[in-house]
Amino acid sequence: MTVIETEPPEAAAAAELSGEAYRVAMRRWLRANLPASFCSDSAAFLPPTLPQSISWEAAMYRAGLAGITWPQVYGGHGRTLREHLIANQEIGAFAMPESVNSIGKELAGPIILAVGTEEQKRRFLPAILEMRDIWCQGFSEPEAGSDLASLRTRAIRNGDTWRINGQKIWTSGAYRAQRCLVLARTGPLEDRHRGLAMFAVRLDAKGVRVRPIKSIDGRESFCEVFFDDVEVLQSDALGAPDEGWAAAIRVLEIERATNRMYRAWRFENELRHLIAACKSDPVLAQLVAGHHYAVKLGELVVDIEVLKAHVETAVGALVNGDRIGARGSLAKLHWSEAHQRFAALALELLAQASLPPPPAVQVARRRFEAIYLQARAETIYAGTTEIQLGIIADRILQLSRGK
Amino acid sequence: MTLTGDGLQPSEFAVTAARAVAECTALSLREQARHLANDGLLGVIAAQDVGGLDLPLAFAVPVVAASGSGLLGFPLIEALLVGRALQESLPRAAEAVVSGEMLATIAWQGGVGAEREGESVVLNGWVARAACASEADCLLVRIGTGAAVLVPTDGEGVVVEDATGLDLTVPEHAVRLQGVTIPAASVLPESTWNLLCSDANVLRAAAILGSADACLTLAQEHASTRRQFGRALSYNQAIRHALARQKLGLEGIRHAITRSVGGEAGALQRDAAFLAAGVYGSAIGEGALQIHGGMGFTWDVPVHRHLRRVRALQAQGDASGVLAALGRRYVGAIAPVADTAVSG
Repeated sequence: MTVIETEPPEAAAAAELSGEAYRVAMRRWLRANLPASFCSDSAAFLPPTLPQSISWEAAMYRAGLAGITWPQVYGGHGRTLREHLIANQEIGAFAMPESVNSIGKELAGPIILAVGTEEQKRRFLPAILEMRDIWCQGFSEPEAGSDLASLRTRAIRNGDTWRINGQKIWTSGAYRAQRCLVLARTGPLEDRHRGLAMFAVRLDAKGVRVRPIKSIDGRESFCEVFFDDVEVLQSDALGAPDEGWAAAIRVLEIERATNRMYRAWRFENELRHLIAACKSDPVLAQLVAGHHYAVKLGELVVDIEVLKAHVETAVGALVNGDRIGARGSLAKLHWSEAHQRFAALALELLAQASLPPPPAVQVARRRFEAIYLQARAETIYAGTTEIQLGIIADRILQLSRGK
Repeated sequence: MTLTGDGLQPSEFAVTAARAVAECTALSLREQARHLANDGLLGVIAAQDVGGLDLPLAFAVPVVAASGSGLLGFPLIEALLVGRALQESLPRAAEAVVSGEMLATIAWQGGVGAEREGESVVLNGWVARAACASEADCLLVRIGTGAAVLVPTDGEGVVVEDATGLDLTVPEHAVRLQGVTIPAASVLPESTWNLLCSDANVLRAAAILGSADACLTLAQEHASTRRQFGRALSYNQAIRHALARQKLGLEGIRHAITRSVGGEAGALQRDAAFLAAGVYGSAIGEGALQIHGGMGFTWDVPVHRHLRRVRALQAQGDASGVLAALGRRYVGAIAPVADTAVSG
């Protein structure tokens, strides 16, 4: 099913727009084209099917809302990082579903741009933006979650082909993906950070088996992925073998600092929704008008403003050509914990609604119960809270570990 | 040299300010005023007509942050803001403040009633949280909802009470005004007070940033050099993680302040910077005290003096009142869910 048939004229014209004019065009396009049923703050909400998501995201790309900073020669829009931030602020204002290809757009894409060959860039990047290739991330393993240095999945080279053997876990969305960004060991395990290489592995290749795992929200979004003598051509190896770890670090820095840059603005959308829902219930309206919740909600507003400040600082640094480095951990730590505080307060508030709760509260409950469960994972994925604290202590504060 | 802000960066003021603050250590309040004025620091945001540099508030941020990290015992935020507040109505007084000749302060809490009598105004009331009021020449106090008036502290009917509060280096006083008569020209316009408070909260955040930065540096040094059980304290993961959290808070304050003085910032961003500074700043001060153990309680280690100041600034800006008001404003601005609500 095709959700978006045509693209409205302002999107085509948006190529010439910049700054605030670009913002206005993007906002208008989203208002005109985003189906109400995709928005979890709407009574009409019905989660999109995979084909609907693919079609919607392809339309967003054509309208100028994906591949924003990628070079035009690889299908991108060749815009600035500031415009990327603007687009994210506008995307965040809507309660739309997360991208089904965020790994492709926000991890695989940037890493291919950084270490890929010219041929790989031309082959992989447009396919990601056009939603022909959905990617998943094969980093974590049963014996190595955040500790990527102890990865055991092995890649052995023989001429122009590699043979990959091993197992990945927590591979979100592998069941619906065409490609997996696999980090595999090419040297001995004792080398830890060295001898790791990255591969773009086709999930329909012989020897790949994907097994979904039922997770906290009742859905099967995580997967285990098994590689049994999987043949991968050298043309699908990303970067030189020993560049694997360095590339992984670079990807993770980007992931922590800039991925889902709309997050602060989405939190704001969630907070506004929560308050609007409360105000349509007599009991909750009285509660949110009172001092106790004025203070609690005020704290969340401050959390969101601080998150925006972290994001904007990161963008400013990147625009100046700085590497974000370990500082990405600061924003990651803040948003993951702030979102948990927020989700817990939302549940607490909504639990106090009138009996029976009005429809607006039921819509909000459905959304915030899902957010609460998903937020529990946010202090785990992309490096746990403890790993982030360790990174800040080691690499930013440079605290001595020795005797 | 023309100083219009073109080509100047706020960070350039940080170095000058840090040196000037260090040189103030052994000086009396009046000597400090002249010393800071000589470096142009008291007039950063005041008009050039009264001897100032006429720069945006962002340029006062590194100056005030340096005063925080150096534990300057001088009412700097007040001097900066009074100099600018007086520049239109009382330019000569403004010039005296900017040049360091006159020591000015502000009573941040309370207000006075004012009755007009010919060319004079008679003031009655009780005000508080006036930094260094016992030594100041003049005091800015609030009248009614938003106006302000400049009162000489040696006037008849002005009684400065003994200092109270946590910050011993910038002591805060309550002041009683009993039938104090001043010229009507000393009354500043209705909009004065809100602007003062809004700017003051950004500068308080900056002062807290300076203190928090100093506390974290001290805690980091102590954890790296103090040895227990044969190892540096920083070997312990609990200590490493505590310090990492403090760093997260510190950068949160820093970025929130930068955002609050940016082009598109409004009341929300300013309140957020002040509130974030209060919460994270206190946590950093308290965390640094914990890491120092018993040593943190001695006067030799300045961590507790920073903590005292952070808590005093938080209260001076009425952090809990600002937070509740921010929450109420935010809730008030959002309409209930309509039947067919779609976000955006």
